[in-house]
Amino acid sequence: MILAIGLALRAAGWGLLAVMTLIIGSALADLAAPLPVATRMTLLAIAIAAGLVTAATLAWRDRYVLSLERVALWIEERFPSLEFALATAVETGAPAIASNVAPESWRATAVRRAIRVVRPPFAAVLVAGVIIFVLPSGAVARMRTPHRGDALDRPSRSSSAASRLTPLVADITPPAYTGQRTTTVDEPSDVRALVGSTIAVRGRGAGSGIVARRGTDSILAATENGRWSITLRVDARPTAVRIVDRGFQRIIAIEPVTDLPPIVSLLTPARDSVLRTPMGRIALSADASDDFGIASAAFEYIVSSGEGENFKFRSGTLGATQPNARRTTINASLSLESLGLNPGDIVHIRAVARDGNNVSGPGIGSSETRTIRIARHDEYDSVAVEAAGPSDEEKSVISERMLIMLAEALEKARPRIARDSLVSEARSIAADQKRLRRTVGEVVFTRLGGESGEEHSDEDSPARAKTMQDMLARADSATNRSTDPIDFGGGESPVVAINKPLLEAYNAMWDASTELEIAEPGRALPHMRRALAAIQRARAAERVYLRGRPPEVVVDVNKVRLQGKDKGTSSVRRPNSAADSATLRRIERFTNIVELVGRDAPAAIDSLLILRIDALGDAPSFAAAIGEATNAMRRGQSAAATEALARARRLLAGEPIARDSLARWGVVP
Amino acid sequence: MTSEFVFATAQYESGDWDSAPLLPANIIDTIARYTEITVAPTGVVVPLSDDRMLRYPLLYLTGHLPVRFNEAERRNVKRFVDRGGLLFIDDHNHDIDGTFHKTATEEIARTIAPLAELPNDHPLYSAFFKFDGPPTTSHELNGWGDNLVHKHLLAVQRAGKIAVLFSNKDYSSEWNYHPESKRFLTVDNTRFAVNLVVYALTA
Repeated sequence: MILAIGLALRAAGWGLLAVMTLIIGSALADLAAPLPVATRMTLLAIAIAAGLVTAATLAWRDRYVLSLERVALWIEERFPSLEFALATAVETGAPAIASNVAPESWRATAVRRAIRVVRPPFAAVLVAGVIIFVLPSGAVARMRTPHRGDALDRPSRSSSAASRLTPLVADITPPAYTGQRTTTVDEPSDVRALVGSTIAVRGRGAGSGIVARRGTDSILAATENGRWSITLRVDARPTAVRIVDRGFQRIIAIEPVTDLPPIVSLLTPARDSVLRTPMGRIALSADASDDFGIASAAFEYIVSSGEGENFKFRSGTLGATQPNARRTTINASLSLESLGLNPGDIVHIRAVARDGNNVSGPGIGSSETRTIRIARHDEYDSVAVEAAGPSDEEKSVISERMLIMLAEALEKARPRIARDSLVSEARSIAADQKRLRRTVGEVVFTRLGGESGEEHSDEDSPARAKTMQDMLARADSATNRSTDPIDFGGGESPVVAINKPLLEAYNAMWDASTELEIAEPGRALPHMRRALAAIQRARAAERVYLRGRPPEVVVDVNKVRLQGKDKGTSSVRRPNSAADSATLRRIERFTNIVELVGRDAPAAIDSLLILRIDALGDAPSFAAAIGEATNAMRRGQSAAATEALARARRLLAGEPIARDSLARWGVVP
Repeated sequence: MTSEFVFATAQYESGDWDSAPLLPANIIDTIARYTEITVAPTGVVVPLSDDRMLRYPLLYLTGHLPVRFNEAERRNVKRFVDRGGLLFIDDHNHDIDGTFHKTATEEIARTIAPLAELPNDHPLYSAFFKFDGPPTTSHELNGWGDNLVHKHLLAVQRAGKIAVLFSNKDYSSEWNYHPESKRFLTVDNTRFAVNLVVYALTA
């Protein structure tokens, strides 16, 4: 047992020595040149592994100390007088054989042996301990427990004239509601943090004379335990903080990260609905998720009643929950009877979730809105069926068909009847054709906003439309709304497009009646058939109902120009610059910074950081490329920096313009 | 983009965007009456979901009913504001407890940023005519709405410039009459619209 303990201690001692030796070596290397946290963590892992392997190897080699037979032989070897009594007793399992043997005789030998094997490693461990003790404070700690922010623990022999801004550490503490832990960044230059976070920038030495400048604000450093610190709060806007120590300065770009509002999806009802009666229950279901947690969620409904200028609203919530989880599902049931709905009322339903953001929020997310409308009594054809005549177009079709049949019969009978009868019959059909043409004309002119029956006043007027183009020109004139973006149609308004077949029928009927007037039914028939086809096209045409078009008032600008009784002034204002001018200024600034890279890389990095802060709001992709460039420049990765800068430049220039063909010579595209 | 100013009314999918149909003509008349700004004789209605809304420096949006932008509308409104446009929203209910106010302000907060009170000495109030704040309308105490005289307009500002202007004054009712009727007024109640347009067109 004594031997086993001694050998175990020896294995542990050599293992410990291996660990200490590697740590001391790493600490010395770190003293010479600071090792990154990742490297130090790797070295620590290697040291521990080396210690374990050493101890395990020695323990394996000495494993026979646990064998009674081997121990008995080891004792017999040193005490021949035992004459194998001990070994025989162990081998046969008969202790009586060795009953006359006194163990005291070899116990002292075993103790001496155990002490002898332990002594070297523990002496070495003692020496290593002394070395660790004499190493500068913090040197071993950086190797023993490497972590971000321990740059301040690294021993330094810098003079008082040196910058106190290196090394620099920033502790970022997110707002309490997020439940996230503080993170530490070494040598911060570009910090991303949630809005409302605090950033404690720390450095070595007293804080006197160290100041952080953010915009017009100046924050003095505080001193505690021989270290200075400045606490900054992350605002909603990106900022560049300039920390100054005498002639030294560091720039830290703070990029705020916004706590996103919850994302809410309304699962049921899946679509808008119209209900005949306000009865029954509607099942409501929604999913909500958030990046940090949903504090509350509920369904909201608004009941709108009324029309025109007189609306009344009621609202309420349903199914309110406080899940305090990142994802939740809410369910509720809406009783339509309880809302006291009337025909025409509309219920707007949506799900709303709030996060726990008590700094810049709460962030409120809402789903799409579904509407449940209660139908008015008069909007169901199946309920209120009233006899109605065919539409105007329908009547015209029937009449035109009848006239064509009459004309065909007359043309067929033409060889058998007298000229007077032919003329009389043809003029009779012409009169009907004229009547029908007036009906079609009324339809068209009513649609175009003209007065019904316009044709009555210009029966033989020279100003009447002679051709379809003439008629269309009139229609365009009557509906001159070409400035309206709703009417983008490549020169033809939808009003004219819809009426075009009827206008064509109108003109064809005109030509037909002219032929019939001179008793030429055969020559009138093609025109009549063209009119019929046009009417059929009009019937099949898609109806477009323009919603909410306000009555159009065209202001006579020249007439009222400067006729106002009051006079104002706008002396101090200047025209807005075009949207692209800001981009041009940014391109120029970026170009200047890129030129600076070759001459003064640190200054260029600082300038890029400030440019990045300016661009974060309106050009996030460009800002991201700048961030990559500065990181690569700090690491000395020239190729990566160049690639990122080139990408940033391309992003500034915008998408390339694609053209179908080459531009004309001399024309700047 | 044309060189003349075109008064644009924003059309959105939800709500009654066309509740003040005579207002555009009245504003156009006012602009011509007091300034030399080249102005189109008629306004336009432009869907918020249509990229063509980005052509106009000033967009007028009103209504009584809930305002819920769809994704395309939300995206375009954001682009419009990012490009320096001014979105003028007027609550036709003139009711801070009303559904238009609640939904529209919420939609703007979601799309752009939360609205904040606009100081009554803001350059908007001296961009052309001098005002001590938003002019009061005859509709604010007409028995409808919240029956309050609203002391401030609300706004979202970008780099010191108004990006979204929100009014509970009900200018949509106040200015919604035929411009010919302006001659019967002792004081032209649409003069503030000149400030709006001048502000939107200048910096």
